[in-house]
Amino acid sequence: MSTEENIVIRTEKLVKSFGENHVLKGFDLELNRGENLVVLGKSGSGKSVLIKCMVGLLYPDSGLVSVFGKEIPKLTQLELDELRTKIGFLFQSSALYDSMTVRENLEFPLRRHWMHKTKDEVNELVMEALKNVGLERAVDLMPSELSGGMRKRIGLARTLILKPEIMLYDEPTTGLDPITGREISNLIVAIQEKYHTSSIIITHDMECAKIVANRIMILIDGFKYTVGTYDELVKSDDPKIKPFFA
Amino acid sequence: MSKQSRRSEFLSEVGNISAFTGKFFREGFKPRYEWSELFRQCYIIGYESLPLVGITAFIMGLVLTVQSRPTLEEFGAASYLPAMVAVSIVREIGPVITALICAGKIGSSIGAELGSMRVTEQIDAMEVSGTNPFKYLVVTRVIACTMMLPILVVLADGIGLYASYIGVNLKGIVSWNLYTTQVFESLTFSDVMPALVKTYFFGFAIGIIGCYKGYFSNKGTEGVGIAANSAVVVSSLMIFVIDLIAVQIADILGLT
Repeated sequence: MSTEENIVIRTEKLVKSFGENHVLKGFDLELNRGENLVVLGKSGSGKSVLIKCMVGLLYPDSGLVSVFGKEIPKLTQLELDELRTKIGFLFQSSALYDSMTVRENLEFPLRRHWMHKTKDEVNELVMEALKNVGLERAVDLMPSELSGGMRKRIGLARTLILKPEIMLYDEPTTGLDPITGREISNLIVAIQEKYHTSSIIITHDMECAKIVANRIMILIDGFKYTVGTYDELVKSDDPKIKPFFA
Repeated sequence: MSKQSRRSEFLSEVGNISAFTGKFFREGFKPRYEWSELFRQCYIIGYESLPLVGITAFIMGLVLTVQSRPTLEEFGAASYLPAMVAVSIVREIGPVITALICAGKIGSSIGAELGSMRVTEQIDAMEVSGTNPFKYLVVTRVIACTMMLPILVVLADGIGLYASYIGVNLKGIVSWNLYTTQVFESLTFSDVMPALVKTYFFGFAIGIIGCYKGYFSNKGTEGVGIAANSAVVVSSLMIFVIDLIAVQIADILGLT
């Protein structure tokens, strides 16, 4: 049940266009504390644009986007940076810093936001984050030496290192084989259970949606078309919903 | 593309680079200062460019000396060879050739690096982690370029002059003492200072254009190539424009 205190992210009538391409045309969403919300939609339907608006990487043309009750477009740069430390964002490409080792990638956010930590404490946190994703052995490797699945896991570890309250996953299983995709999906569930994070997962991988979702929201033509659990939607006879679960 | 749209594209590019430069000055002097990244960039831009700059300067000094000798001999002025080469290298050839080499090496590398970071979402990742990517990536690189280029130019001048000493001695015998005396007697404040001052502007132009092209790269991997290429082309052009302006200013100030 959604109550006002329980909602961590809210969008209302969110509109975003790129020139003549109207991507979001009044999108409404509510993310409850502790839940995994999957947003499904066709490629180019504006799913990634939606979560980029939530972290201030893109700004909406109109409508409301608020995180922990704070309206993103109204925040100063300092306030936004502060808020961003509570939000983890896993990019589709993992976005690991190429010029840094895995250790340096993980240390990077720590050294900026938790400067009071000693070298040993930083090392402990790095190793703990890597242990969470099962990749302690990769600590001194360069991103170019990692496989696609490993890159995703390291990206996840880097995102988790600041212990965010909200996780935003942009197509976490895209480009991975089914087994690795399943491992990443299970990891998302494990993270939710361990850290009690609230997450939005953008995907069109139905297996991933089935494993991770508490609720699924379907985005069609820039609007929220429907929302429900996996079991509810899989039984739907709606011709616009059926193709997603075919 | 019509003439008008080319003109408006050019003007908008000039406007965007100016705005980018303005942002550099606004962001560059505000804390937090990225010292470790700045030192890392100084090492990459300065130290790692030195071999290429050194080899180029050596060849430049030697070739200039060997090729100037016949003309000077024709006028019976072969003894002025060290002085002529010194003035040429210090005033113009050293700064401009070093800057062009750096535009090729550093400008393209910054353009490609930031371009690739942009298309692989690394800059976005930095931003969502609460780090200001402009300060971390752009400010550090521009400052490192601005600080390192004059040092590279001074070193290149030195190497070029040493190569010239070898060139002078290929056909004749001139002692090191005589050579250096002739070189330093021929150089004046107005030879050295304007040449040194303009290298700061060369370095700044290479840094700011490389960063601008890479930072706003798009069109995927194709965009990375375009960013690297246009960083070299535009910064090379800027070096000649700055050189032209510097010569005019030096002339007005009576430093020619």
